[in-house]
This record gives sequence, C-alpha cells and structure tokens, in this order.
Amino acid sequence: MVVLKMAFRNILRQKRRTVFTALSIIGGFTLAVIFIGWADGSYNGIIDRFTRTRLGHIQIHEKTYLARPSLYKTVADVPRVGAVLDGTKAVESWAPRVYSAGLAGDGDKSAGVQIIGLDPEREVRTTHFERTIVRGRFFSGVAAREAVLGRVLAEILQAKLGDEIVLLSQGADGSIAEDQFVLVGVASSGDEMTDRTAYYLPLVTAQDYLVLDAKVHEIAVVVARLGRVQSVARAVTARLDDPSLAVEPWQVFARSFYNAMKADKAGMWVMLLVIVIIVAVGVLNTVLMSVLERRREYGLLKAIGTRPGRIVRLIVLEVLLLSFVSMAAGAVLGLGANSFLARHGIRFSSGLTYGGMVFDTMNSEINARSFLIPAVTVIAAALLVGFFPALKAARTDPARTMRMH
Amino acid sequence: MTLALRLGWRNLFRNKRRTLIAGLAIGVGLASLIFTDALMQGMVAQMIKSATAAYLGEGEIHRRGFRLTQEPGLTIHDAAGVEARLEKDPDVEAFAPRAESFGMITSAAEARSVMIVGVDPSRERLLSQVDDNIRQGAFFEGSGERDIVIGNALAEILGVEPGDRIVATVSQAGSGVLAQDMFRVSGIYRFGIKEMDEGFAFVRLAKAQDMLGIGRGINEIALKFRDIRFATRKDNPFWTAYSTGGNEAVSWAVLLPQLRDALGLFWISLAFMAAILFGIVAFGIINTLFMSLYERMFEFGVLRAVGTRSAGVRRLIIFEAGALAALSIAMGLVLGLVLTLVVARTGVNYSGIEFAGTTFSEPLTPVLQVRQFVVYPLATFLFTLLVALYPARVAGRLRIADALRKSL
Amino acid sequence: MRCPRTSTSRLTGLLFLAATLLCAAARPLPQTVRPGRAEEIVRRIDELYRSDTSESTVEMEVVTPNWRRTLRMKVWSRGLSDTFIRVLEPKKEAGFATLRLGDEMWNFLPKTAKVLKVPPSMMMSSWMGSDLTNDDLVKEFTFAESYHFEMTMPESPEPGILYIKCVPKEGLPIVWGSVVLAVREDDLLPVWERYYDEKGGLARTIAFRDIRTFGRRRIPSTMELVPEAKAGQKTVLRYLEAAFDLALPADIFSLRNLHGGL
Repeated sequence: MVVLKMAFRNILRQKRRTVFTALSIIGGFTLAVIFIGWADGSYNGIIDRFTRTRLGHIQIHEKTYLARPSLYKTVADVPRVGAVLDGTKAVESWAPRVYSAGLAGDGDKSAGVQIIGLDPEREVRTTHFERTIVRGRFFSGVAAREAVLGRVLAEILQAKLGDEIVLLSQGADGSIAEDQFVLVGVASSGDEMTDRTAYYLPLVTAQDYLVLDAKVHEIAVVVARLGRVQSVARAVTARLDDPSLAVEPWQVFARSFYNAMKADKAGMWVMLLVIVIIVAVGVLNTVLMSVLERRREYGLLKAIGTRPGRIVRLIVLEVLLLSFVSMAAGAVLGLGANSFLARHGIRFSSGLTYGGMVFDTMNSEINARSFLIPAVTVIAAALLVGFFPALKAARTDPARTMRMH
Repeated sequence: MTLALRLGWRNLFRNKRRTLIAGLAIGVGLASLIFTDALMQGMVAQMIKSATAAYLGEGEIHRRGFRLTQEPGLTIHDAAGVEARLEKDPDVEAFAPRAESFGMITSAAEARSVMIVGVDPSRERLLSQVDDNIRQGAFFEGSGERDIVIGNALAEILGVEPGDRIVATVSQAGSGVLAQDMFRVSGIYRFGIKEMDEGFAFVRLAKAQDMLGIGRGINEIALKFRDIRFATRKDNPFWTAYSTGGNEAVSWAVLLPQLRDALGLFWISLAFMAAILFGIVAFGIINTLFMSLYERMFEFGVLRAVGTRSAGVRRLIIFEAGALAALSIAMGLVLGLVLTLVVARTGVNYSGIEFAGTTFSEPLTPVLQVRQFVVYPLATFLFTLLVALYPARVAGRLRIADALRKSL
Repeated sequence: MRCPRTSTSRLTGLLFLAATLLCAAARPLPQTVRPGRAEEIVRRIDELYRSDTSESTVEMEVVTPNWRRTLRMKVWSRGLSDTFIRVLEPKKEAGFATLRLGDEMWNFLPKTAKVLKVPPSMMMSSWMGSDLTNDDLVKEFTFAESYHFEMTMPESPEPGILYIKCVPKEGLPIVWGSVVLAVREDDLLPVWERYYDEKGGLARTIAFRDIRTFGRRRIPSTMELVPEAKAGQKTVLRYLEAAFDLALPADIFSLRNLHGGL
C-alpha cells in the first residue's frame, strides 16, 4: 500500500513529466481508437452498402439453386419463411424474388432478358430499389401490369416510357408464357450485365406469368447490423428447420466481392500493425525517458534500504497508474470522436454513385475492438518499458546510479 | 552560426541514449508514413489488378457501338494500324486482339450458351490469366486449328474432358447465317469464379474470324500497361489518342463502373486513416521534442547565465531539433526502405478464412515511389523545426534564475 | 437431310424438331439385298423425311421431371429451311405461331397480337436447357454424305432387324461419336437410332413406331426421343396427318401469315 501511495505521489510530484507522458499515451490511444473505429466503420460501411442494395445480407434459396439455377428450384412456403424472419429480432426486413429467362421485344427490336419479379413495397424497404430508378418510376403495386427495364436493355430495345414491352418465356408448367407490360421506369444498378438484361416485373405478375403460384426463387434478407449476419443466418436456419433450403450470408453468394474485400482487410491489418507499433514506440519513448531520468532517485531509494523488488513494483505501478488514467481519458476522447464520426461521418464533396445511390458520407463505428487493441498495446508497451529499466535500476549499485546524471 | 550548428550537433550526442530514443521514435514515425503510403498504393493496385488481370484488361479498344450491341460485324477500324501503334507505344506492356460473339457450345450430352472468344495465344498469354489457370491440357500449344479451351464448370456441364469433341455455333456478322464448327477440348481452366468458368470458350483467332465471317477483323483489343496506375490517371491522353476513326478506347473505370466507385470509397477511407497516422506521428514528434527540451531547461538556463543571448539559445534549440530531425530522417528512411522492401518481397498473404479460399489470390505488395522518399522526410523535417519553435521561445524568454531552479 | 433448327425455348425448339423430322419424303424401295446395302439403307433413311414441301398436323408430347404437356400443331415446310408452325391446342397456347425463313425466325404471340423477332444470339441460346443438339440446329447432315457407315451386328440382335453403324467424317461439326441405326429387314423402315458420344456412352435414343401411310409415303408416324443424361425426360412426336410435295401458296411463309389466316 505504501508503494501505491508513493507511486501516486511521485506522479503528482513532477507535473510536467507526468503530463507529457500522459499526453503521449492519451494522444496515441485516442488516435488509435479513432483509426480502428474508422477502419471498421468504413470497411463495414462499404460492405453494407454493396450488399444492402440489391443483394441483401442473407439470401434464402432452395439448397442447390445457387450452384445451378433453375425455374423449378423454388422456396415453396414463403409465408412460413416470412414468419420465421419476422420473428427473428435482428432481421430488419426481407424481400422475395422470382427469376427466369425470356425474350423481350419492343417494335422490331428484341433481346434476351432475365425476368426478375420484385415485391415493390418490400423491395423498397429492404434494398431501396426505388433509388436505382433513373427514369420514370417504380411499380405501383405487387400485381400491376407494369415493367421496369435495365438501363442498357432499354437502350438496346430503344424503349420509351409508356411502350408495351412484349415478353415471351416458358411457364413452370411447360406452357408458353406470353404477355406484354407497360414500361413505367428504367433502373440503373451499376452492374453492366444486370442493366443489359434485367426485365423487372411486380412479383405477383411474374408469378402468374410464369405459372409459379405463390412460389419464389429467392428471399433477400437485410439485418440490422452487418456483424450479426453469420449468427442471424444460423439462427434462421435452425428455426426454419428445413433441409431443402439454404440460408446463406453474403460471403457465400457474393463470393467475388467478398474476396475483393478480404484483400482490403489484409491491408487494413497491416496498417493497424503499423499504428500499434507507432503508439507503442511513442509510449516507450516517453515512459522510458522519464524512467531513465529518475534512476538517480531510485538509486537513492536503494541506498536507504528499499528492497529491489519494491523498487521494481514502484516503477511498474507508477507506469501502470499513469497508463490507466491516460487510457481512461483517451477512451473518453476516443469514444466521443467515434460517436461523432459514427453519427455524422465524413462528408465529401464529389458524391460517388453506385447502384443509383449517392454516397457522400463514410462513418465510423463504435466497437469493443477499437478500445481493446489500443489498450492492450499501451499496457504492454508501458509494462515493457517500465519493467526492464526498473529491473536494471533496482539491481544497479546505488553508488553508481547516484553518481550519474 | 557554425558554432551554433556544431554545438547543436554535438549536444545530440552528449546524451546518446536520449537522442537515440527520440531519434528512433521520430524515425519510426517517418518509416511508417512511407510504408503505409506504399501499402496503400499496393492495395489500390491490387484491387484494380484482381478485377482486370484475369481477362478484362486495364483498358479495351472497340469499334464504337460494339460494347452496346455486341454485334460481331462491328470490327475495329484499321486494326492492323492500331496494333502497330500499340506495339510501339512505350506505356503499353501487352495487348491482346480478340474476335468474339455469343454462341452455343454443344456436346453429346448438353448445350450451353457462352461467349466464344477467338484469341491470339502468344499475345493473350501476356495479358490474361487463363493460361495461368489451366488445370488440364494446355493453353493453345502447337497449332491445332480445332483447339478449344473451356472452364471446368462448363466442361462439367457438357460432360467433356480434354480430347472430346464439341461443336460451336455462332451467328455470322451481318447475314445472321449460323456457322458451326467442330472442336476438340484442348485445355480446361479453373478460376474459381463462376462467370469465367462457365461462360467462356476460347478458340484460335483465325478460326473465330472465319466462323464469324469477319475476314481479318478484330472486335476487341485488351490492354495492359506497364504501370497499373496509368489507366486511372485522369485526362490521360491515351484514350483520346486511340479513339479515332470510329474506334473507342476506354479504361477499366468505364468498363467496370462499380469497381471505380468502390475504389473511390476506398480512397476516402484511406485518406482519413493516413491523416490519423500523420496525427500520431506528429504527436510523437511534439512530445519527444518537448520532453527532451524541457528537461534541459536547466542547461539552457546555465547557457543564458554565462551570457548567451536569447536569440542564441533559440537558435541552438532549433538547430538541435534540426539535427535530431536529420538524424531521425536518416534512420527513418533506412528503416522505411528496408521494411517496405522486405514486405514487398514476401507480400502480405492471407489465407481463406471462413470459406473455401480463392484460387488465385496474389499477395499484397507495397509500391515504392520516389515521391514517398521526398515528401515525407521533408514534411517531417519542417514539422520538427516548427515544433521546436515553442520550446525555443520559452527558452529564450526564461528568466535565468527560474531556469536554474527548474528541474523536471 | 435434317433441317436447320433454332430454339427460343425448349418448346419452340421441339416444334422445330417436329418440322425438321418432317422435311422429307420417302419412296418405296425394292427389297432385294445387294452389296452396298448399308449405303442403300442409309440413303433411304435420309430420304425418308425429306420433301420439297409438306403440310402436316403433329402432336408433340413433352415429358420433363417437372411437367408434362401435349401440343397439337399444324406444320408447313418448304425446302430445308422454311417452316411455319401454328399451335392449335391447348387453348392457352392456341394461335401461337413461328415462322422460320433461312436463318431468321419470328414468333407470333396471340395474346398480345405482336410479332417478336428472335435475335441471332437468342436463336441459339437455350433458356431452360435444351435436350436437342447442334446437329438439329444448323447444317444439314445426312448419314450418307457426312458419315462413314457399315453393317454391324450387336451382341444380341433381334430377328428381322438390320443394324448399321455410322461414324461422322472427320472435321464435320457433329457432336456424336457414332450413331447406330436399326431398320426392319423387310421394308427398311427405321426402328430406332442410338446416338453415342466418342467414348461409347449412349447419349440419346430416337425410337420409331406406328407405321402409317400418308398419301404415297409409308413412314413411322411416332418418334420418341429420349436423352440419356436426363432422367424423366422425353419428347414424343406423333404425326396425325401429313401430305408431301403438295403445292403450297408462297404467302404461307410470310410475316403476314403470322398474324392470321391459315
């Protein structure tokens, strides 16, 4: 206990040195917290945006659908799946889709298309599909006799809003599916292939057209927080208890995007390592200097009989005390900064457009990791730098240390 | 003046340990700035490369209108001339001419619609990665006219192996007459990417031209540049220079707008993080300098006491700071260079974590540039001097008695 | 000879198989056996379904693992590449028509009364998987011209049946490794055709049944195509009526005809 009091008093005795050391730790800690919060926030932000618009965080299909898509591989009991999803807390919303292939024509122009059936109300809530509409509007209802074309497809067909776009395909009962729908909007998803072939229909219209009853091919699910995706997927799988269905997170169905992101992550880790080293060096620097400067003091202590072990403890305690107080201050600052950045983000002038969405902010996120990693770094560095010189000081002949400086 | 300089320098070495520690701290900071910059460049280059190196190329030249309609009759105007120019162009590392069209591939078991691409194997090898991903057979060795190279997923769907016969059908340019020919599977590749493995079939260029009825026409020339950032440079005259005579030359940013947007977002993030990094380093410099100077207030008090004028003391401090900066920068540059080179050699490798790993993932390599070794050291030097101004002023204004009484 | 065929869907594809298989005529041949017999038989098979013009009513039944459907349609053909098909039954598809002139193809959609041109790239793409091959798609291949053939004897031959093995000539865009034809010894009418890949695996079988006389031709009126790789899938074509080499007004093969009339 005496040691603790001494440590405390020592700290308060030399204000300037204490302040400097503390500032160094606070500064490094806070910035590291902000860095990690930002890295995670922006990385997850990118993923979230890309998956939320169109793909969804999680997709449910018949279990072999992704490998070999087929009109006949359907999710049959949509209401039941929907009920399970609605009952899962972390699920924010979901949207069912229907897919097939067909031939579309306007006037004398025709092209092969991918028919995509969407539930307008659900799609708006889940993926904000309406934001990809660049001309005209989205569907007025789930059974409307309306069509929306991909931007490039509209160009190929030279289709104007109001045109009746003919569609030829094959129904799930083998019959010829033939109809025409009024073009009410043109969508730009940002993906060339999609925009070249997409023929969107309202869901029920598509189901009737393809003789699918109430079946769908895909249910896209959006969860509240990106980090929960895997656990939600597992929870939904368990609650559905249907071996014919696969509930897959974006890492599976957006494989190439995932790999691209993994590359970024690796780079981020390296940068984080660099930050950690710098912070550690910063701590080392200041703490070391202050410990070394006071070797005379420690020599004195030893001369008057303090046991080496106690001296070590004294030094280490001082360092730790200082570190914790500094980290606390740093944590408060860091939390404040990250909260601000999480809420408001950084706004940049040249807004980027992707999938019809304009991105002009990037946000941080607040997570445990952004505090833990810097904390561990600081403590490890402080201990390291406190301990060894302390050991050395404790062991050196007092006469020598007192003669120094 | 020279005295002050020499004094400043020698003061550094009076307390070697402190100098070393301070110098290392600043040096490490500088090294990290250089390294991070190089790493960021590497990350961006990696992202671009992974999207374009497989097959697409960093840029492409087509006849205007081809990208929209994919009509095989739209061939590049004066392809031979364009190729000759590309050959002489110092910025272009490789280019690959292609004749392509959607078509049908049939085997005894199944039929599939794919993109049939006629390639010049020797040129294609230098540009795309199909040849690097061959798992069975080869990528157009010898000169077999009936060679065809397909992805493993397509081979599985068709139920064929190397040596088996398949038939390709395309619609001829202009007339729409359907042309067919028989091929034997000569190579099977695997990217691990569904679109590549299922959607393409490669044949020899002359064969494709013949089937499409376009004579010696070329539909597309894919480009690879010596410097991967060449294609990203804004207002690069390259694109307009080659968009003549009815052709259009576009970079990957036009072909893959979603990649361009993703990179944009990425840069913003990196810029912010670089700012933070700089903040940390700057903070470190401030701290280091302040501590080492404040501790020696007694010294400076003595100096003043023996008659050095304030200006002299200020100058001394500045010079010392400058000397420290110089020393640190030297250390930092060496450290930065070594670190970056080492990591560049090994690359940053990452193993597939949760799911089956990618097949072709190149390690991340930092990119060294002269700019990094000029801008950052300069900034560090200037910043250190700037930071030294405050303690210098304090030392200059000290009342000697106070200074002599001070101790940290 | 087989007619070129293109498909926008398995169904329309199969419509064309019907037309393809009907583009020919047969003449009764003397029944003596001579050297060069294989060639005779093969030529007969080639000629069996070839004609300058034809008009027929066909019923096509398609069976897949997911559904089963029978269409009744009227088919007109001229030469090797001009065909007009009008679907008569069932009601949902009645009125649907397809016109094929050379390498161009149009569909008429009765419900919307619109004509849709099939783009060249779509003419070859198979939407939902086609169990028909390129062989049926483009160039005409005759057994006589495009294959080497010889009489053969399987392991357990049936009495009264002759077997011929055909191997495609090198360099021709044919996917088959070999084709074995089984014909009746007495009238040389086909019983079945088996298509093998190069490794000797059976890829598909076409069985011929229900010999009938249409005008002056005597041909099997039912053809059943069974792909080997796909379980539960087959196509059966039945010729209810057929007339060959008759005078057909040229405007049958016109876009105008798509909209109405005949």
